Amino acid sequence: MKITLTVNGDDYPLDVEPRRILADVLREDCRLTGTHLGCEHGVCGACTVLVDGQAVRSCLMLAVQCDGRSVRTVEGLAGPDGEPHPLQRAFSAEHALQCGFCTPGFLMVAAGALEADPAIGDDPERVHGLVESNICRCTGYEPIRRAIMRAAAESASLRRR
Amino acid sequence: MEQWARREDRRLLTGRGQFVADMAVQNCLDAVFVRSGIAHGVVRDVDCAAAREVPGVVGVWSAADLSGLPACAHAAARLQDLPPVPHTLLAKLSTAEAVAGREWPALAKDRVRYAGEAVAVVVGEDRYRAEDGAAEVAVRIDPLPAVVTPSAAAGDSVLLFDGLSNTAFRGEAGTPIEETVWQEAAVVVEARYRQQLLMPTPMECRTILAVPEQDGRLTVWSGHQMPHRLRRELAALLGMPLDRIRVVVPDTGGAFGSKSAAFPEFVTVVYLAVMLGRPVRWIEDRLESMTAATRGRGQDQRVRLAADADGHLLAYELQIDADVGAYPHLGVGLPMQTAWMATGPYATPRVHASVRSVLTNTMVTYPYRGAGRPEATIALERSMDLLARRLGLDPAELRRRNFIPAEDFPYQTPTGRCYDSGNYAAALDLALETIGYDTWRAEQTRRRHDPRALPLGIGLSCYVERSGGEPGGLHDFAGIEAHEDGTIIARCGAASSGQSHETTFPALVAATLGVDESRVQLIEGDTDAQPEGLGSFASRSAQVDGAALHHASALLIDLARERAADLWGTPVEEVEWSDGSVHHVRDGSAAMDVAELVKATGPLSVDDRFESGMGFPFGAHVAVAEVDPELGTVRVLRLVVVDDCGVVLNPAIVRGQAFGSAVQGIGQALYEGIPYGDDGVPLLAGGLLDYLLPTATEVPPIEVKETRTPSPSTPLGAKGAGESGCIGTPAAIVNAVADALQIADPGLLQMPLTPDVVWRAARAAKYEGAR
Repeated sequence: MKITLTVNGDDYPLDVEPRRILADVLREDCRLTGTHLGCEHGVCGACTVLVDGQAVRSCLMLAVQCDGRSVRTVEGLAGPDGEPHPLQRAFSAEHALQCGFCTPGFLMVAAGALEADPAIGDDPERVHGLVESNICRCTGYEPIRRAIMRAAAESASLRRR
Repeated sequence: MEQWARREDRRLLTGRGQFVADMAVQNCLDAVFVRSGIAHGVVRDVDCAAAREVPGVVGVWSAADLSGLPACAHAAARLQDLPPVPHTLLAKLSTAEAVAGREWPALAKDRVRYAGEAVAVVVGEDRYRAEDGAAEVAVRIDPLPAVVTPSAAAGDSVLLFDGLSNTAFRGEAGTPIEETVWQEAAVVVEARYRQQLLMPTPMECRTILAVPEQDGRLTVWSGHQMPHRLRRELAALLGMPLDRIRVVVPDTGGAFGSKSAAFPEFVTVVYLAVMLGRPVRWIEDRLESMTAATRGRGQDQRVRLAADADGHLLAYELQIDADVGAYPHLGVGLPMQTAWMATGPYATPRVHASVRSVLTNTMVTYPYRGAGRPEATIALERSMDLLARRLGLDPAELRRRNFIPAEDFPYQTPTGRCYDSGNYAAALDLALETIGYDTWRAEQTRRRHDPRALPLGIGLSCYVERSGGEPGGLHDFAGIEAHEDGTIIARCGAASSGQSHETTFPALVAATLGVDESRVQLIEGDTDAQPEGLGSFASRSAQVDGAALHHASALLIDLARERAADLWGTPVEEVEWSDGSVHHVRDGSAAMDVAELVKATGPLSVDDRFESGMGFPFGAHVAVAEVDPELGTVRVLRLVVVDDCGVVLNPAIVRGQAFGSAVQGIGQALYEGIPYGDDGVPLLAGGLLDYLLPTATEVPPIEVKETRTPSPSTPLGAKGAGESGCIGTPAAIVNAVADALQIADPGLLQMPLTPDVVWRAARAAKYEGAR
């Protein structure tokens, strides 16, 4: 089936089997391997990407469902000049990653939420809720929560300026 | 660099990490395994004909199809039949006696012995094609009765290997204790504990990519802890010279002990790549991993602990029935780690531990973070709380009366360990002070008088563990090279799976040489770049490889001084090294940077083998938990972990590992476990919805603190870090729940403490004196 995915602002005209999941098409057809597959049954969230701004498990979505839609992956987080996203800087500063395998999923969950509501940091419970949605085996989550709070606070202070 | 706390972060945070599954290799085939859904049975037929007709399928083989083939295409290999799975020699994890007559075929031939055992392999142009093919393989297996627990299997009524007992290994540590000791002791407590089977569950499952090269060499990429071991084992299996194989470990998504062997799938994939002369990869998926990857723990324990009326320990006995799974090849001797550590942090005069490793129709047991030490700690620490209750002593006081005193190190234990250094009381004191022990005890008393309050318990767990490895495996290799452009290359035999080596080791080398960190680059996890190495396991990287790099840096300084002395025609004693430069002690002339020295005198490079002693990290964990007797739920209100891993190379990284490790420990205490049906099939149809890994919801407030008692085993003084939480935390939590419920029979509280377990325990008889 012929589809066009817009990934991180670039158009990818593709011919894909309808059964192929979005994660595989991103990784194999678009060669964007930053999106990782951790469980392939929608539990761990490592494969989370944004489709039209909404966080989705890309292992539970077919690529053909995304025809003509806008997909954002971890490769598209940094600014156009390569300047890291506040979340990327915050994750590093807070040691919110060790092996880094689950990290793209947490980043995209947080990026989607932060962009939908830049004031999310005002409600620590909501941030905690975001962290609860994915699995990490290295960090114990607390550094991830701190990193999202840190990035949220930074975004908030930028807005106030 | 300055905006990234670790060097790894730049690529891992931007999607530019490179894990095995991310690698684009031309013409690469994907391998998919057809697995037995039956735990024990006779293989009657594996029919691959239909599968071979599936479009995109390149080949399908059962074990029978792979035997008696003509010798393979690949020039470097002398290979005919699919070789069997090798056994682990390291740390006596397996033995030649245990595996004798018990071959582990890479693809099961006549008999399957665990659900998930591979019986055929399909390679396809991509994973989808290969899965299509796998769906068409027709497998007929006649079931045999399965034995699923060590107690069921030990009777040998059903044999996994005809003519051989299911008991594949026996061992002991210490001397058997005479009955009179138990008869004459003022107090003896007895208990049985189950150390349930756990899944290590790194976020990245197992991976391997084998690429036959044009020049006849073979490159193997794998998320792995021991690339040199993998190279050695593959070379032996394929009949290839060692130097014809290169193993590379790219970014690896966690391991926790579970990625250090040559697994059946690895053997098959590498064999096929060589036979076909074409790259083949296997990227394990999660559901596959949940049946066919190695598990950890799996012990049924019986303990006896005796003390005098003052609470001084007299004797401790631990009997272990270990569930080692269907084949003894990887972890049959692993329970000896528990036996050797049975003494714990106490000066108990008599300790005896015995091990019986029993084969069952389940997947194989292998190290998982802690690897034998959690089992030792949990058994002893639960028993200490039992004893304290029987004696009417505060559990902290009972421990203080029995700690090996700080001045008694090195300390030879009755179970054969020589503890290097420790100050156990200091760790406990810090933990109690941090959590506010007296305040919580007061709160506990208050609640016991308040009928509306939920019961609250405080659990202690004092542990000592072992790091670095076992004799024969306590060394590693390291090298340092100084280059003309000012770069310093550090190499070592470790392999990171998320432990920040790329950040920590260059910082250590830079500090030792007195140069800026940015000048030092680390190379590891590549058997071509670093030809000899042991790897990263047993919490050894900082302790052994860190010390090896520290040692190699000192050798480089010596060599540079000699070079400069020759260059300048002065005695070497008159050449000093500071801040990456050599200079003459008396001459006022400017110092010469090592890069200039290389320009003037040629390449400067040192390599050496470094051997460490064993390290014995320790600590004290304290948990406060509230139990709802009506719902059976456990709420951990606070957890304090105090760990001592000697000299710490990077505090933020060690703290991060300690925290994550504690959360894995909570997983063992409260949530995780592999349930098997009587037929030996894991009851995990819902995948990670059934096997409950802790999420952020389950993480209580945790405070990580440390004491620092350097190890005398290396000049660097570091001991292993990272396994502490898995070792120390579970017993603290279980003890807190037992303390809250005040139950008489501790056997009712077996991990994981699910609502069902806790609800039942809450209804059981309380111990005498409980209120």
